[in-house]
Amino acid sequence: MPTHTLRAKHRTSTLRTLAFLSPWLVGFGVFFAYPLVSTLYFSLMRYDGFGVPEFRGAGNWTYVFQDYPMFWPALRNTLWLVLVMVTCRVVFGLGIGLLVTRIKTATGVFRTLFYLPYLAPPVAATLAFVFLLNPGTGPVNSALEGLGLPAPGWFTDAAWSKPALTALALWGVGDLMVIFMAALLDVPKEQYEAAALDGASPWQRFRFVTLPAISPIILFAVVTGVIQTMQYYTQPLVAGKVASGVIGGSGQQFEPGYPDKSTLTLPQLVHNLGFQRFDYGAACVVALVLFALSMAFTALLMRSRGGLIQAGDR
Amino acid sequence: MPGIPRNAALVLAATASLALLTTACTGSSGTGATDDPNAGTTLTFWHGWSAPAEVKAVRANVDRFEKAHPNIKVKVVGNINDDKLNQALRAGGSNGPDVVSSFTTSNIGTFCSSGAFLDLEPFIEKSGLDLEATIPKPMLDYTRFEGTRCALPLLGDAYGLYYNKDAFEEAGITRPPKTWSEFSEVAEKLTEPRGDTYERLGFMPNYHGYETVVGHYMSQWDHAYFDADGKSNIARDPAFAEMFRYQKKLVDDLGGFAKLEKYRNTFGDEWGAEHPFHTGQVAMQLDGEWRLGMARDAGVDFEIGTAPLPVADDEVDEYGKGFLSGTIMGIAPQSKKQNAAWELVKYMTTDTEAVVSFANAIRNVPSTFEALESPDLKTDPAFKTFLDIARHPESSTPPASVNGSTYQTTLQDFGYQYESGKVKDLDAGLARTAKQIDRDIEQAK
Amino acid sequence: MTRPAPSPPGRRTALLHWIAVHALGVAAALFFTLPFLFVVLTSLMSDQQALTRDLVPDTWQWDNYRTVWDTPGFLTWWRNTLLYAGLGTVLTVVSSLPVAYALAKFRFRGRNLSVMLVISMMMLPPQVVVIPMYLFWAKQLDLSGTLWPLIVPMAFGDAFSIFLLRQFLLTIPDEYLDAARVDGCGELRTLLRVVLPMARPGIAAVALFQFFYAWNDYFGPQIYTSENPAAWTLSYGLESFKGAHHTDWNLTMAATVLVMAPVILVFFFAQKAFVEGVTLTGTKG
Repeated sequence: MPTHTLRAKHRTSTLRTLAFLSPWLVGFGVFFAYPLVSTLYFSLMRYDGFGVPEFRGAGNWTYVFQDYPMFWPALRNTLWLVLVMVTCRVVFGLGIGLLVTRIKTATGVFRTLFYLPYLAPPVAATLAFVFLLNPGTGPVNSALEGLGLPAPGWFTDAAWSKPALTALALWGVGDLMVIFMAALLDVPKEQYEAAALDGASPWQRFRFVTLPAISPIILFAVVTGVIQTMQYYTQPLVAGKVASGVIGGSGQQFEPGYPDKSTLTLPQLVHNLGFQRFDYGAACVVALVLFALSMAFTALLMRSRGGLIQAGDR
Repeated sequence: MPGIPRNAALVLAATASLALLTTACTGSSGTGATDDPNAGTTLTFWHGWSAPAEVKAVRANVDRFEKAHPNIKVKVVGNINDDKLNQALRAGGSNGPDVVSSFTTSNIGTFCSSGAFLDLEPFIEKSGLDLEATIPKPMLDYTRFEGTRCALPLLGDAYGLYYNKDAFEEAGITRPPKTWSEFSEVAEKLTEPRGDTYERLGFMPNYHGYETVVGHYMSQWDHAYFDADGKSNIARDPAFAEMFRYQKKLVDDLGGFAKLEKYRNTFGDEWGAEHPFHTGQVAMQLDGEWRLGMARDAGVDFEIGTAPLPVADDEVDEYGKGFLSGTIMGIAPQSKKQNAAWELVKYMTTDTEAVVSFANAIRNVPSTFEALESPDLKTDPAFKTFLDIARHPESSTPPASVNGSTYQTTLQDFGYQYESGKVKDLDAGLARTAKQIDRDIEQAK
Repeated sequence: MTRPAPSPPGRRTALLHWIAVHALGVAAALFFTLPFLFVVLTSLMSDQQALTRDLVPDTWQWDNYRTVWDTPGFLTWWRNTLLYAGLGTVLTVVSSLPVAYALAKFRFRGRNLSVMLVISMMMLPPQVVVIPMYLFWAKQLDLSGTLWPLIVPMAFGDAFSIFLLRQFLLTIPDEYLDAARVDGCGELRTLLRVVLPMARPGIAAVALFQFFYAWNDYFGPQIYTSENPAAWTLSYGLESFKGAHHTDWNLTMAATVLVMAPVILVFFFAQKAFVEGVTLTGTKG
């Protein structure tokens, strides 16, 4: 009798758990597991949306890796963005975070102003930046020329398009600012006071007190930054479209990457292959590459020391 | 952190493999149209125009059709580009269109070969339409692929040379250049450098100079993109190398790539009022027939001259030809109202009054012989240049390919690399590009 | 100044420090606000002037906003965006909260694995599974050209919301739950009676994030609604303002302002919850 009750209790608790998890379990199956397997399946097929898929074997894979002219440029751009854009964002975000914790007048106003651009919808923000950085008549180049500085082509110049995107990303640094601000305020005051008593310079205090204390947050910012870079889609695509002047309404087809493949990223390739060339097989190959890269960095995030995102118990 | 598997992806894959595999299959529908074109029905027509004036002109055209066919109502959806069109035709959903159109003539290969557009031959036969006698040949060519006619032309675009007559007079030039050698001389004569920039540039030759793209230049040399086997011909046909060398030399003679790019960056938007031709920043411009209206609307303060583009020095007898393009119109295969859809296609593409008034409204080139000759066609000498280019027997449009315009994009990409000096060896570059084009087509087959 | 008055040189250093910090602050504020200012100024110019180097409108054309507002479709995009963002947010919260609660407070085998899978889903670029998902919605369900492929999945838990809510629920001490359970509440009632009120800030943050996500989403509407302008959202429709044959930067910028404004307004009303949410994503569970 007692054993029976125990087992019954155990059963209801499993059922209860399943019941609470059920929305997500369905979502996991239908919107994650099934399409993932299906993506793997399509990566081996020739399929253009008409008729039935035909088996092609490794053909899509060799095409993407050896012959698809956009694949390696997109991967190189991603590397550039990881090295430069992510770094700049973290350094700038930390800088703004430090600045904001030191501002003692109208703190709320400053914080809000610094944070607002992060909220600007990406399409709107990108449109605004293409306009501001318009080489011919944009205010930024007008100002640069007024100061006697060289005026780059920004979104119209392959060498400057990624820096222009970086500027856009720095403008929207609010998320990192808030995270760093919270971390900086968490650093125990006593440590600073102790360091000050030891006669540490401001730089030494930053180097030996602040940095060690917030290093897990920096790592978090870097890794999530890398993962976000894998998903970087709207800004480079819209910037390319708008800067090249080829957008929807004209009826012209826009090849992503303008200028000269310099703004290509992997997600854009999925769109280009899947929804412009309608080569679903090759699109799925790129999707799987994207999947592998994202998951590798996610694993890194979960394994990283300091338990930034702890999967297990607290 | 204990208990975390080393490879999250592996775990995922293992879990995921339990899920079912489903493959979508929708067979392409046949051409046995059975609907009654005289029954009351509503058609959905998709087009790509988006400017308010253009949208209004389409509506007016459709209104005329509805008056002539009181049983058919037409729901018009504008601002549809080829990506959306292709996607919807593949989805084959109930919200899809009956009648479709596209600005991208080089996508005809994709449309016809994949069955995205219905084969129009049975309808043309039923209506007893003599296409050869109705529509100019280049336009007939860009609406069929490998023997399948899956579209008809709905107005066309012709590309020619715009020049600033005042600047010509000032420089003592009496007539527009006819050959590319003459063109180089004229362009240099019109150019007034100022330091590391220009007071005025004769011509912006760079491939990013709006319409000065590889395909548009190429139409002025006798050329063939593909050989009889459908393989890329660009490395073997000397016309391509000739064009690339000519353009590169023009770039160098006018000040070099870097200086020109810097100047190009001061240009206003191609579709805005401050287009460099309007502002006098450039004295000549390669452009489509629509530029005339735009330049006049912008209120330019000089006299605008128009002429065909120059031709290769040894092809002077073909002077007058140009690059052609246009809108193509067809029927969606999943339409349940194909006969009614054909009535709309037939009306819009072949009815003289419809073609003429539409051409007048959006200032494009009419696409039938009768409309080109029509006394109702609003025209003037400057616009007539483009009507003549459209009728010229040697005018051309890039051939269709199964993967649409991809081969042109690939060639264009090479153009950017060559003009900027990033690639020095032209022949090797063209050979590599040809290989890429062949590989892309193979992948699309 | 609450500290004891420092000696004159110390005070001078403090003053210099204050000036330096605030000068930097003002410089940074200019960097963050000038783009907004230029956008607003340009949105009030004539279309001819918007293409020049002028910064300030010659004539203040407030009519530009009316023109944008009256553009065919603009109101429809607004309605669609509100539907996508509003309904999507409600569904997300309702479906994610029980999952987050179970992952935070139940002890069961496979919990760690589940949390890891949630994180994996959260980090998954939407492009990875878009091909089969698109074929599924378009070919099996004939829902291409509608907003349903974007809204329906939200009824099945959103990974990011689950994760964020779980992080928040972890901060609620178990004692509160135990007390409720001792009182004879079932888990569902515990969730509704005890957890829900305590989790309000977390739920507010999740709702805001989800609302902004839907508002800003470009890829989803591009894939599923592009063929049907009647189903476009603001983010996607905004792009069509830059259609090639009619570039009016003044109107484009006015539309940009109209798309940005609601987000900023919502932010001002819900600033606290939002900043808490951002912090929550970055700190330990």
